[in-house]
Amino acid sequence: MTAPHNPRFAWLTDPGDRGLAIMLLAPLALLVTLIVVYPVLRLFYTSLFDHSLTSGLPPRFVGLQNFGLMLDDPTFWTTLKNTLLITLVTVPGALIMGLAMALMANMPFKYHWPVRLSLLIPWALPLAFAGLIFAWFFHSEYGVVNDILRRFGFQPVIWFNSPGWSMTAICLTVIWKTSSFMALILLAGLQTIPRSLYEAADVDGAGKLRQFWEITLPLLRPAIAVALIFRTITALQTFDIPYTMTAGGPGGSTATLAMYIHQNTVSFLDLGYGSALAVVMFLLSMLVTVLYLRMIRARG
Amino acid sequence: MADSPIFGLLSGRPLRLIVAAILLINGLFPALWILLTSLKTDAELTRTPITWLPHAPTLSNYATAFSDQPLHLFLFNSFMVALLSTVLTLFVSVLAAYAIARLNLRYRGVILSAIVAVSTFPLVTLLVPLFETMRALSLLNTWAALILPYAVLSLPVCTLILVSFFETIPRDLENAAMIDGCTRIGALFRIVVPLAAPGVFTAGILAFVNAWDEFLLALSFNSSPQLRTLPVGIQMYQGEFTFPWPVISAALIVGIVPVAILIVIFQERVVAGLTTGGVKG
Repeated sequence: MTAPHNPRFAWLTDPGDRGLAIMLLAPLALLVTLIVVYPVLRLFYTSLFDHSLTSGLPPRFVGLQNFGLMLDDPTFWTTLKNTLLITLVTVPGALIMGLAMALMANMPFKYHWPVRLSLLIPWALPLAFAGLIFAWFFHSEYGVVNDILRRFGFQPVIWFNSPGWSMTAICLTVIWKTSSFMALILLAGLQTIPRSLYEAADVDGAGKLRQFWEITLPLLRPAIAVALIFRTITALQTFDIPYTMTAGGPGGSTATLAMYIHQNTVSFLDLGYGSALAVVMFLLSMLVTVLYLRMIRARG
Repeated sequence: MADSPIFGLLSGRPLRLIVAAILLINGLFPALWILLTSLKTDAELTRTPITWLPHAPTLSNYATAFSDQPLHLFLFNSFMVALLSTVLTLFVSVLAAYAIARLNLRYRGVILSAIVAVSTFPLVTLLVPLFETMRALSLLNTWAALILPYAVLSLPVCTLILVSFFETIPRDLENAAMIDGCTRIGALFRIVVPLAAPGVFTAGILAFVNAWDEFLLALSFNSSPQLRTLPVGIQMYQGEFTFPWPVISAALIVGIVPVAILIVIFQERVVAGLTTGGVKG
């Protein structure tokens, strides 16, 4: 079994061997094709059909009619508006809160594990749990939020009776839940900034605030960009927290586009319209990804 | 450097203690409050002003949580679905990561970009076509309906983590094994995977937590009481007008504890994995 005579040694001398590469990558390609690529093509295809499982009729090609229906559908506009509102509020909210948490967690603590756990536990908590927990937090009579408001002499708020307060509670919950992930990513970014930069700035007499704006933020930009892309895409898909906190109420005023897609698919079994809505969601998140990537590239 | 720049005024140990307290309260108070709620009686719960610490702590809510709903089944389903999808995703991503890290692939950049693209993919858009497919294949209300999508959900993260671990393992060890008559696949599983065990483990934990947390597909595909996972099952305690909060809280604690233990034990690896993979939030 000396090396040069072993035919298996050919793998080594020819590391770019196509057969092995195809074999190793095939399972990944198969799974992604089956669960992502084929369904997406199917989604675009179905969106052009009147395809309702309740009617018992075979799918009928209707062109872009589903998208036309959408334009006159007030629920579509409400859910789209709520989705964009949640995105516009919670993405910057989570970024600011996550950045503050990362800066705090980056301090030279003697023990790092308590701080690390305080970021990891919220990250690992299922969104559907967070929705329930915060629904209880914001309970109008027995909730801890109103208890604290009362203790500080404020009027308690009846959170889930009005669209505005319900949306506020949802956004606060989303920000709380997602800022820990943001903080973990930004903390890793902070730890790559060389201390010598701050030491040099100290020597030059630059204040802490100026150091933050001129050293920390610019060097953190790649980490912020990555965190923002993922956070924005998941914000557009917001489902779990409004579903478990308000179920879209009161009166459908806090329902999101993802909830409307789910309702059309699973409850109404209207796959054609559900697909058309999902196509809008798909294009929206493609747009966000492309915009962010452009921004990153433009700024180098 | 003494402190984070935003705290130029205060410094030293007192500041660090205050900051640690803020972070701990922010991160752990919700779980702590649910724990306290789960120990309260109904009578204490509806007292105003509300009590913070339970006056007469009781474990009866935990017994009710298991008797009102098949909570043990929710746990079992969640655990099996998460475990099986983790095994599947690890197997597939170990093979792919090895090819990416070790073979001089001509389309390496394209393959990596495609993997990152999959990770930015909105899961909601898969709901409709997957629902249609699972329904057509009679896979609704089976573990398989969730295992396959969950495996794909974690594929990008796991592959990226494993690529970065495999790249740190010296090629000489593999070469030596192959000279001793091991096949390349044999060397992968006997030499590379054991050496990259921390990476495989890290990827596995992330995949497990992703699957454990997923709600939308579990809600849509597995609605029969016998097949609900925890996040779905836990929504079932509330009636149309009744919210038994102490019982819901007890069920939540039962659902939080397994993953919390995992996180406490493997916290450093989880952080390393999250920051390598650049994953979903």
